[in-house]
Amino acid sequence: MKPNLSFAVILLFCSNLILGSASSPRGFLGIPPQDLEYFKSDVIKCRDGSNKFTKAQLNDDFCDCADGTDEPGTSACPVGKFYCQNAGHVPLLIFSSRVNDGICDCCDGSDEYDSGVNCPNTCWEAGKVAREKLKKKIATYQEGVSKRKQEIEQAKLAITKDEAELSKLKKEEEILKEIVEQLRDRKEQIEKAEEKERLEKEKEEKKKKESEEKINEEQKQSTEGPVNDHHETIGELDEHSHEQKIAESKDEPAVADTDDIAEHAADDHGTAKVEADISHDTEGSASPEHEGEQDKDVNTEGLSKEELGRLVASRWTGENTEQQPKEVSEENEEKHEENPKVDDNSHDEEYSGYSSGMDEENHKYDEDEMEEGDMDDEIDQNDHVDSGTYDAPYSEDHDDFSDTISNSPSWLDKIQRTARNILQAVNVFRSPVDTSDAERVRKEYDESNAKLSKLRSRISSLTQKLKHDFGPDKEFYSFYDCCFEYKENKYTYKVCPFKQASQMEGHSTTRLGNWDKFEDSYKVMLFSNGDRCWNGPDRSLKVRLRCGLKNELADVDEPSRCEYVAVLSTPALCHEEKLKELQHKLDLLNSEQPRQHEEL
Amino acid sequence: MATTRSPLLLLLLLFLLSCSLHIPSVSSWKKDEFRNCKQTPFCHRARSRSPRSCSLVAADVAIHDGDLTAKLVSKNGEPFENPLILKLSVYKGGILRVRVDEDPNLGPPKKRFEVPDVVLGEFESSKLWLSRVSDEGVSSVVYLSSDLEAVVRHDPFEVYVRRKGGERVLSMNSNGLFDFEQLRMKKEGEDWSESFRSHTDSRPYGPQSISFDVSFYGADFVYGIPEHATALALSPTRGPGVEFSEPYRLFNLDVFEYLHDSPFGIYGSIPLMLSHGKGSGTNGFFWLNAAEMQIDVLGKGWDAEDGIALPSSQERIDTHWMSEAGIVDAFFFLGPEPKDVVQQYTSVTGRPSMPQHFATAYHQCRWNYRDEEDVGNVDSKFDEFDIPYDVLWLDIEHTNGKRYFTWDSALFPHPEEMQKKLADKGRHMVTIVDPHIKRDDDYYIHKEATNNGYYVKDSSGKDYDGWCWPGSSSYLDVLNPEIRSWWADKFSLQNYAGSTPSLYIWNDMNEPSVFNGPEVTMPRDALHHGGVEHRELHNAYGYYFHMATADGLLKRGNGNDRPFVLSRAFFPGSQRYGAIWTGDNTAEWEHLRVSVPMVLTLGLTGITFAGADVGGFFGNPDTELLVRWYQLGAYYPFFRAHAHHDTKRREPWLFGDRNTELMRDAIRTRYILLPYFYTLFREANTTGVPVMRPLWMEFPADEATFKNDEAFMVGNSILVQGIYTAGAKHASVYLPGGQSWYDMKTGVAYKGGVTHNLGVSDDSIPAFQKAGTIIPRKDRFRRSSTQMVNDPYTLVIALDGSLEAEGELYVDDGKSFEFGQGAYIHRRFSFTKGQLTSTNIAAPGSGKTFSSNCIIDRIILLGLSSGNKSALVEPGNIKLTIEPGPLNLHARSSSKALTIRRPNVRIADDWTIKIL
Repeated sequence: MKPNLSFAVILLFCSNLILGSASSPRGFLGIPPQDLEYFKSDVIKCRDGSNKFTKAQLNDDFCDCADGTDEPGTSACPVGKFYCQNAGHVPLLIFSSRVNDGICDCCDGSDEYDSGVNCPNTCWEAGKVAREKLKKKIATYQEGVSKRKQEIEQAKLAITKDEAELSKLKKEEEILKEIVEQLRDRKEQIEKAEEKERLEKEKEEKKKKESEEKINEEQKQSTEGPVNDHHETIGELDEHSHEQKIAESKDEPAVADTDDIAEHAADDHGTAKVEADISHDTEGSASPEHEGEQDKDVNTEGLSKEELGRLVASRWTGENTEQQPKEVSEENEEKHEENPKVDDNSHDEEYSGYSSGMDEENHKYDEDEMEEGDMDDEIDQNDHVDSGTYDAPYSEDHDDFSDTISNSPSWLDKIQRTARNILQAVNVFRSPVDTSDAERVRKEYDESNAKLSKLRSRISSLTQKLKHDFGPDKEFYSFYDCCFEYKENKYTYKVCPFKQASQMEGHSTTRLGNWDKFEDSYKVMLFSNGDRCWNGPDRSLKVRLRCGLKNELADVDEPSRCEYVAVLSTPALCHEEKLKELQHKLDLLNSEQPRQHEEL
Repeated sequence: MATTRSPLLLLLLLFLLSCSLHIPSVSSWKKDEFRNCKQTPFCHRARSRSPRSCSLVAADVAIHDGDLTAKLVSKNGEPFENPLILKLSVYKGGILRVRVDEDPNLGPPKKRFEVPDVVLGEFESSKLWLSRVSDEGVSSVVYLSSDLEAVVRHDPFEVYVRRKGGERVLSMNSNGLFDFEQLRMKKEGEDWSESFRSHTDSRPYGPQSISFDVSFYGADFVYGIPEHATALALSPTRGPGVEFSEPYRLFNLDVFEYLHDSPFGIYGSIPLMLSHGKGSGTNGFFWLNAAEMQIDVLGKGWDAEDGIALPSSQERIDTHWMSEAGIVDAFFFLGPEPKDVVQQYTSVTGRPSMPQHFATAYHQCRWNYRDEEDVGNVDSKFDEFDIPYDVLWLDIEHTNGKRYFTWDSALFPHPEEMQKKLADKGRHMVTIVDPHIKRDDDYYIHKEATNNGYYVKDSSGKDYDGWCWPGSSSYLDVLNPEIRSWWADKFSLQNYAGSTPSLYIWNDMNEPSVFNGPEVTMPRDALHHGGVEHRELHNAYGYYFHMATADGLLKRGNGNDRPFVLSRAFFPGSQRYGAIWTGDNTAEWEHLRVSVPMVLTLGLTGITFAGADVGGFFGNPDTELLVRWYQLGAYYPFFRAHAHHDTKRREPWLFGDRNTELMRDAIRTRYILLPYFYTLFREANTTGVPVMRPLWMEFPADEATFKNDEAFMVGNSILVQGIYTAGAKHASVYLPGGQSWYDMKTGVAYKGGVTHNLGVSDDSIPAFQKAGTIIPRKDRFRRSSTQMVNDPYTLVIALDGSLEAEGELYVDDGKSFEFGQGAYIHRRFSFTKGQLTSTNIAAPGSGKTFSSNCIIDRIILLGLSSGNKSALVEPGNIKLTIEPGPLNLHARSSSKALTIRRPNVRIADDWTIKIL
């Protein structure tokens, strides 16, 4: 082909096309060094095998291979990549669509060789910045990696400890269970005996009464009633003790001393119950409210102009219409949405913990640490208190319980000893029953039973904890008892790994999600099934993890409505392999340095 | 429901209903909040009229000022009725205009509203001065064109157009449904007020409605009268066998979650109906009237009860037009071809404006891109995934408390910098500006508008206080040219703080939407400039606002920069001011389907720059629907993705690699075809013929196309078949006409005039190039259309049975108005007798020129035998080889076609390429 020079000059302006002589003037432009070999032959195949082309067709600004093989240095093929060397910085592969499009993409400007745009070479400057940044990152990683190692060590120790504790607790549970059962048997025997005595006493008294009154009277069967009562009472008691409920105190003759506490306990129960009722109520009221809203959709007759305006606007915005401008109405919306949450929470806890009622109670008490602590004190210190009448709080509090645990030999021994003594000392069949003996048995039973419950609760929470996936190196173990907070404007975000995440504004809390799992090979923590959004999905939160020296939450965002994202820096993500990678990258960058320097 | 006698009773009933019924929101359309015909006194009244009840007689027929005039006198001598004035005018090209109004000399209480600034001055001045009327005794006849005559029959009064042979074409009042309620002065004790729900309309001039019937002779179907979410061919709304249906309502309303198949009125109104029939050709009837209108399409036998024979034995479609106010100002367009009618209509209301080139590319929108960081991220993601886009949109949340022309300083602290960053990549930004103004004394727009008295007034004369996004709001009285001019000035770079020349505008809520108004709009008795009641101009409110905004951008650019303004509300003439989209649709397959007839109907009625929200505004589309929507939306003249703020993010890269690829391909399809689209926009700009066309517009004689609204034409060369169901493996595609069609993906030829059952994959929807056409493409992908300016062209030549083909290419600077002075390139490519020729078809220039050094570097020949091995380019005597090359430059596409490699001829030059 004969080049038509004047024609070509004209074409330069528009098409960036140079009608080349036999070999293309662009030569091997845009080809990564490691691929150069591929283009050395005279006839070259398209990589996808769809076609072949001559050397002259390489980079001739006309796409012959749909996969772009023949045009690495031009924009002619849509799927090609252009290689810029970027000496002084890192080499880059850019989309062919960027070649000669008038925008500088490569720091060495090599992508705009024919667009009339002058791209200055900024690689040295950019490279310097990149190197600095990289160095900083490496420094972070270096420290992070050792922190991570420490954490892993600690986690391993802690897990071993947890596991040891667990197996110990389980053994103790066995022993204690036995004691409790024995004590219970004895207690029941005593109670039976007591009851018998009582009935006899009653009988006698009755007889006495009857004889004191006129013998003419006929009422001979009057004993039948009380006998029935008697049966019932026993049945009740059996049931109660079996369920390990503590309401017995009410059925038993109350000892004056214990009155306060019994009441207290009852009160506590009452409160808990009331709370539950409230949550129920709010749930109940939430739906009518919602219905009300829909009703209003239909029935706009009675509304003021302003109310109507807000109502209609709310269809698009999904905001509550009752309140003043947007901010407030959002707040309100959240309050509104909070209602079901109360309910949800209790559900969740039911699921997350043991499903037994006992466990649920634990959690409730757990929330009330202060009170619980007080009571523990009372129980531990004031021996005169008949704690048997009291529903001993099952503490989940770590410290509190580990104290008990650490003293456990003496603690368990003591119980064992005491129980043995009592069991030996107290003869049930002695009649009449010795009141103080009976009390001793009862007290010992209640105390031991309380300990057992506490023990079980601890076992369950430990089991629960150890079930979690703490990462391949257990590097996330320390997250278990942590919550991370981040404040942004009026909101505070609280992320508790393995538990839940929430958004707080003043006193209102919105659940962003419950712990779901790690994703993306432990680079993302996912919390899902949070509070429902109006006209939208359940809230969810994805926490992206990145290497950092401290556990630090940042950048909470809501890219789609009710789908939150956040970033958490943590040493747990400072992987050694990545550090090596970064160091290698820096080495590469540095190796470019001197040459570039000379050029400058 | 029982028939209700009094509105009060009805209200009570509704109230009770709404109290007792708890309706779970399955369908969110609040039907009860909108009036149906029965609840609309004028509609109910007109619909109950029986045929032949019009007793008007045309008297005193005369020629006056070049028009035929007559008096319409009541034969029964009804006491309060003054004679009406009938006026017939004839315009160049055989357009007949019929006006009926009250006689100004008889002292009506006020002048009835005539919609200003819609009919072009140019059209007005093309009036033919009638000098002669032939009297045929029972009727008077005037000349219309060589083939047509307009006839006024005197008793009973009727107007019709007939061919010289006597055959009727189009008529008015042939069924005697004409009725004209004259304005009245309120007498003591008289109360004309009416109530709907909690709203009362004082109706100070009493009922003032107009209704009449229009007949389309020889028509198989009627089309048009947007905006409704319905099929393209309008089904009858009254008559035997027609299930109870509302009339097609034309009343601009902001309807929350509109249904996908309903005659209910939504955001815009164009009272233009087209008819088409195999025998009769195409006709159009246009009533320029901005009040609420209801139109019944009457099914055959609708008047059978009446027992009176038709005045003509011809087949026809009767229609019934009812309007609440205004005058009769009607236009008869007589075709005979579909494109003729659109040309005739746009000669009256204006041709579509020439869009900026970037605006014909892909737009990315969401309610809302929240802040500058979000904008930056979305922008860079497009680059990361190598997906082109041209415009990023900001919805209402970008403002400071919904005060338009302001920015939320926390979210958008550096708007100019942000726009500049986009502009550096050749991209543009659009912000929203709505007509409701926040009533806040510290807001400068509100202050000025209040001080100048620029707001619409309520019936008591105070500034009307409604409710919209910002809360308490007032509405600019854009009917007033002075206020429009004031408004336009707000768009200058000085006045609109934070704006840059790459920023364009979006007008939403301009129906106007008033959240606490009757039917979510303004009360009908609100008052505008010159004492005009809102009822009289309602449907044109959004139009004037759109006009003022577009004028603002025009002023901003000193008349050198083409405005881009998207509007939701529209009216005849809106095509002159910008693009229209079909409003708040829903992410459902049925909404994807109905988007096609909706956009086609807009095109038939002048508004070619139109599209639906890709993906569906409300709800979350499943991925397949989203992909299909992109594949179809790439062919909408206006191609924008948009989503409600409660929906999940749905930018094209969020659905996995495969779907990213599919959506990228769909968007790239549009970019490849931009030269073709731009050429079509120019065609629309000069002729009114829409970019996206119903099949019958291209194949008016092929009856199989008349009802088809699942497929459509882009220009005259491309047929697109949408896929409207999930998991489709096959599609039944009717390819009209006698010529073959080439599958644009594979190059395989299919026979025309046949329904083909084709396999469908997920990677594209069926699209075909008609044999005999030439399509210009740009095959290189760029970040945005801006970077494509200098890229070379590809021509795809699809040869017909006689090995011929023809196509056009139009190019200009893409932004200024210099094309108006001849600064453009317009070429015709024709392939005949083995030779491709490029010829100049630009009109002789008037001063300005446009030059381009762009070349054609690839010519693909479909339908040529593979025996041809070389080609000769003249001038230059350059011999080139013809060899198989890729049909599409997609990596996955393996289809090949004969290709002339690098002819490198300039688009600006004359040349020939001979196949040897």
